[in-house]
Amino acid sequence: MSAILKPKSKLIVCDGNEAAAWAVSLADVDMVAVYPITPQSSLVEYLAKFIADGRLGAEIVDVEGEHSVLSVLQGACLAGARTYTASCGPGLAFMFEPYLRTPGLRLPLVMTIVTRDTLTPQSVWGGHQDAMSVREVGWVQMYCESVQEVLDTTIMAYRIAEHRDVMLPVNICHDGNYLSFGAARCELPDQGEVRDFLGAKDVNWHVALDPQRPMAVDPLTGGAGGPGPSTFVRYRKGQCSGMQNSLEVISEVHEDWGRRFGRYHAPLIESYRMEGADYAMITIGSMTGAAKDAVDEARARGEKVGLLKVKTYRPFPAQALADALAQVKAAGVVDRSVSFGWNCGPLFQDVIAAMYYAPRRIPAMSFIGGLAGADLTISHFERVIGRIKELARDGHAAETVWLNEKD
Amino acid sequence: MGAAYETIHFKAEACDGCNDCMSACAQAKTQTDEHLHSRIQIVPSGEGFELAICRQCGDPQCVLTCPAAALSKNAGSGVVDWDRTKCVNCLLCTVGCAYGGIAYDSVSSRVIKCDMCDGAPACVKACTTGALKHVTTARIYNEAGNLEDLFAPGLSGCQGCNTELIMRHALRRIGPDVVVATPPGCIPGMGSVGYNGLTGTKVPVFHPLLTNTASMLAGVRRQYKRSGRDVLAVALAGDGGTADVGFQSLSGAAERGEEMLYICVDNEGYMNTGMQRSGCTPYGAWTSTTPVGERAHGKTQDAKNLPLLMVMHNCAYVATASTAFMEDLYDKLDRAIQAAKTGFAYLHIYSPCTTGWRFASDQNIEVARKAVETNFVLLWEFNPEDGLQFTHPVENARPIDEYLEVLGKYRHLDRDQVAHIERSLAHNLARIRGFVAARGAASAAAGRS
Amino acid sequence: MPHAHYLIVGASHAALSALHAIRLHDAEGEVTLLTRDDSLPYSPTVLPYVVSGRSDPGRVFLRDESYFAQHKVNYLRGAKVHKVNAGASAVELADGSSIGFDKLLLATGAAPVLPPVPGLAGLRFHVLRTLADALALREALPRVKRAVVLGGGLIGMHAAENLAKGGVQVSVVEMQAHVLAGYFDAQASGMIEKVFTANGVRLLLGASVAGFTPRGEGCRATLEDGAEIDADLLLVATGVAPVTDFLCGSGIETERGVLVDEHMRTNIANIWAAGDVAQARGFFTRERVINGILPDAVDQGRIAGMAMAEDPGTKDYAGGVPLNTYSFFGQHAVSVGVHESALEQSGVEVKKHSDEAQNRYLKIVLKDRRLAGIFGVNAAFDPGIMWELILRAIDLGEEKLAFLRSPQDTARALMSKNWR
Repeated sequence: MSAILKPKSKLIVCDGNEAAAWAVSLADVDMVAVYPITPQSSLVEYLAKFIADGRLGAEIVDVEGEHSVLSVLQGACLAGARTYTASCGPGLAFMFEPYLRTPGLRLPLVMTIVTRDTLTPQSVWGGHQDAMSVREVGWVQMYCESVQEVLDTTIMAYRIAEHRDVMLPVNICHDGNYLSFGAARCELPDQGEVRDFLGAKDVNWHVALDPQRPMAVDPLTGGAGGPGPSTFVRYRKGQCSGMQNSLEVISEVHEDWGRRFGRYHAPLIESYRMEGADYAMITIGSMTGAAKDAVDEARARGEKVGLLKVKTYRPFPAQALADALAQVKAAGVVDRSVSFGWNCGPLFQDVIAAMYYAPRRIPAMSFIGGLAGADLTISHFERVIGRIKELARDGHAAETVWLNEKD
Repeated sequence: MGAAYETIHFKAEACDGCNDCMSACAQAKTQTDEHLHSRIQIVPSGEGFELAICRQCGDPQCVLTCPAAALSKNAGSGVVDWDRTKCVNCLLCTVGCAYGGIAYDSVSSRVIKCDMCDGAPACVKACTTGALKHVTTARIYNEAGNLEDLFAPGLSGCQGCNTELIMRHALRRIGPDVVVATPPGCIPGMGSVGYNGLTGTKVPVFHPLLTNTASMLAGVRRQYKRSGRDVLAVALAGDGGTADVGFQSLSGAAERGEEMLYICVDNEGYMNTGMQRSGCTPYGAWTSTTPVGERAHGKTQDAKNLPLLMVMHNCAYVATASTAFMEDLYDKLDRAIQAAKTGFAYLHIYSPCTTGWRFASDQNIEVARKAVETNFVLLWEFNPEDGLQFTHPVENARPIDEYLEVLGKYRHLDRDQVAHIERSLAHNLARIRGFVAARGAASAAAGRS
Repeated sequence: MPHAHYLIVGASHAALSALHAIRLHDAEGEVTLLTRDDSLPYSPTVLPYVVSGRSDPGRVFLRDESYFAQHKVNYLRGAKVHKVNAGASAVELADGSSIGFDKLLLATGAAPVLPPVPGLAGLRFHVLRTLADALALREALPRVKRAVVLGGGLIGMHAAENLAKGGVQVSVVEMQAHVLAGYFDAQASGMIEKVFTANGVRLLLGASVAGFTPRGEGCRATLEDGAEIDADLLLVATGVAPVTDFLCGSGIETERGVLVDEHMRTNIANIWAAGDVAQARGFFTRERVINGILPDAVDQGRIAGMAMAEDPGTKDYAGGVPLNTYSFFGQHAVSVGVHESALEQSGVEVKKHSDEAQNRYLKIVLKDRRLAGIFGVNAAFDPGIMWELILRAIDLGEEKLAFLRSPQDTARALMSKNWR
């Protein structure tokens, strides 16, 4: 990351929710539909204020629930709008029906998940359980580490979603509490430059509700016999292609963003101090900051520890991860959510699946922490590093470690 | 396409024999009160009254019987015109007419016949009992008949489907600058959104979810408005998707005043999926989920009054309609289309279902008519300015049995159940009358202030 | 040889009604209409009014060119059919040309019948069946002071009235005891006669002409009783009869007219006949009769047209009901149905009402509580409704007394209840 401010950029101090709202403002969004929910609410309030102040030219639709949030945006997008919304937790669960449908319609919606743990127990605090629960639906998911990354990624998300080889909806996940309310220094790029970066809006060239291009959107298909089943398969495979194509598009877009704005964010996986590492810690989201500090301290002690941060979680950068882990003796994955039925974290599962592509078996174990707003500190990650070293020694995968269980 | 014409309709049971129509006609045509000159003739018949007047026949025999070319069917107005300068007083036309529509006037020694007063019949204006009605339904045929049917031919609705009729009429009227939402149900089920990449509709059409029709349309409409295009957003939805699972998005959109025309086609249940009960299924009705057996005898709750719920949202326009009263339906459609350009317009159209209600497929309009004439269905409209008012008040409703007995879904009803339905209808009527009266009181109050 | 799917011979009411019915069912099938006249179609019934000047001869046409164009009808004028070749499905015209057809309608009407009176053949006299006849008569009128009308039927009486109104001294010679004997009984005819006499028309009833002798431009008629009448103008109006001579040898069965079945079809499967030329079943009699009245021609033409076009709505011809309307000197007379003399006497009821002062007369004939005939002079009733009551054989039941008392209102109420 560059510390030099670009000439036309502006420097502000803001939290992640405000940063997201600034990004929406800079991206020339047409339609915003929202329903407030903790910890997303301030994001909605910023948007409403920006629109009220004329800073954002979008139309805001204060609907009666998250289900309608996504429904309004689908309609608007089919009529040619660039759209935005944000939600989390129970709200995300409530919008699941239209959420499930968005990728199949290949609508390039952009939506922030201000991540929150799911009920029950009742909790309004951060955790990745909501976003992780929808990981297989077909949205691109990118997780942010910092306030600046929230702003930059939200803008980049439009170019990724609207890329003709992708045409899929994108979730930018930023951690409830830690990123949503944590204030930091943030550079606001120039609107004109963002416009140039994003290019012309082109959201419904492929599917539209437009009397000038009449078509039926989503005729019935499938069923045994006739052209239905093969039509359905073609749609599904197309969706998979868009998903896989996005890996390259995400990389390109991040590269171009770096060239234009001087901030290079790792598009898929960030390798931190992995040179000659024997042990690797794998993180996702805002926990990465403390984890990096723990790595720094361990390296200072002479331990060969490195870190891999997963930025793009869907599609999962399996090959990149397998390559990055090729030389390590053991790996530990820290999840902020749970995969029920596997008794481990979901990211852990993805990592061990990716390691199938590695030339040899690498012992790995799952750590779960930071649920329901719990803090993950340097000392938690020191514990993680210690357990990974043990794992490398004895080679046996241990049971999942719950980091905050005894805090 | 040939033209259809306006007519004067006579409801014999409403005529009290006051003869004001004859006086009005005599005045209009001869400036006298002499009933002999009246082109409309009310005649006593037992306890009541009957009518003789020119029918302005589509294929008038009087014209064929005139040797002097004095009579002709006016293609524009539909009136059988009489040219006094050509008439030779031979009276053969009075032989050709089997309706007493053209008759000899002994005072003028000429034949006389109704000319519809250039489209504003004086007799109808003079009738205070509702026995005479100037029926202008022909304009629907003449105007809408020339509009393009925006659905493909051959939609696979059931035989005699009323919903298909509603869809085709509505979209003809609305025209091509539209986006149509048809949530899951009979409407897309019969192929309007098509199958396997083919479409059944000539305008943009889509399947929303069963739950989000109003929200998706809101997004469509707002984006077009934002880009300066006037594209009407129209929903053609069933009662289940509207009243039950789709009600939240409907209510939200109505509250926000989203600009759209939401047409609820109420066939009183989930007919497409096999006739399950919905919130609009009436009390006592058989459905596949309220079956009739030893211990159960159909639905045990009344239907929710969805259009009234929409009134409570203070929508720009709310109306109920029936395909048995097409003129009324078209008037409402026109007003709803206008209202949908500035606010939320909701049209609730009752749609008897031959398959799900179990009646013969040629009886649909008859069933729809009976529903209205028994006050099972009330036809009214609402806008915030004028409040709620009846558009087709039925003062002397037919007994409810006449409606219930033609429908298989009510065949099992016992006397108590019929009594329940009668009570519910009475309550419903009283409730709506209350709104109508409140409107009157409100305007009176406004007048005083 | 030109060919038409539908070939219609004649252009008056039966022909035009058939054409109308064909086009209601078959918008495209080729139709050719032949008329011996050189004009657009007109009705023989309007001719007396052309003579009197009441009708402008340029405005009596029942259809114009645009009608034929719009309905894709080939209208051929001056085409007199000379012969029908049923076997070859073709007609031969007077000019020697032929037209083939798939289906043929004969609607050629009737022509005046000339009585075998000595001397008539050598005279200049008028008849009134074509527009040319009417114009010729009208042309002659200004020079006429005295006229003889031979025949007291409708045409003769119309002509007599018009001549009288033009200041001509008119004598009507009628063989029967009363004028209009086919339609009205003696009492009603007598009332009509009284009006004519009062207007200066001399009626010689029960009289026939023994012979004519030319006299200047005109003639002298010598009656059988020896009386002599001089006239500048002689109009022969002793009735009309179907013209069937051109059908000789065609194989089409004729008696007095062309015999047809209940769909107006002749014995030849693709040939129909309607109107004054047809001899079809009567309503009150099972025998086939010549009805020869305009409303019946319209009815027959429609049935023939529907049958020719194979319209599934074709109904059987109910049978001819005698009916007529007649207006004279500002008064009017109407007859619908039959007099009691034509009926089996059981169940027959007759009610008569007359008012000499008002010159008003009404007779109602019921058979088994059903209307069989109604006849009036200056009486108010709707003939079309009465005709329908007869055809539907509606049992008057409890309405019978009301009907006899007030036929117009009661019949209107019956109409409104039964076929409104």
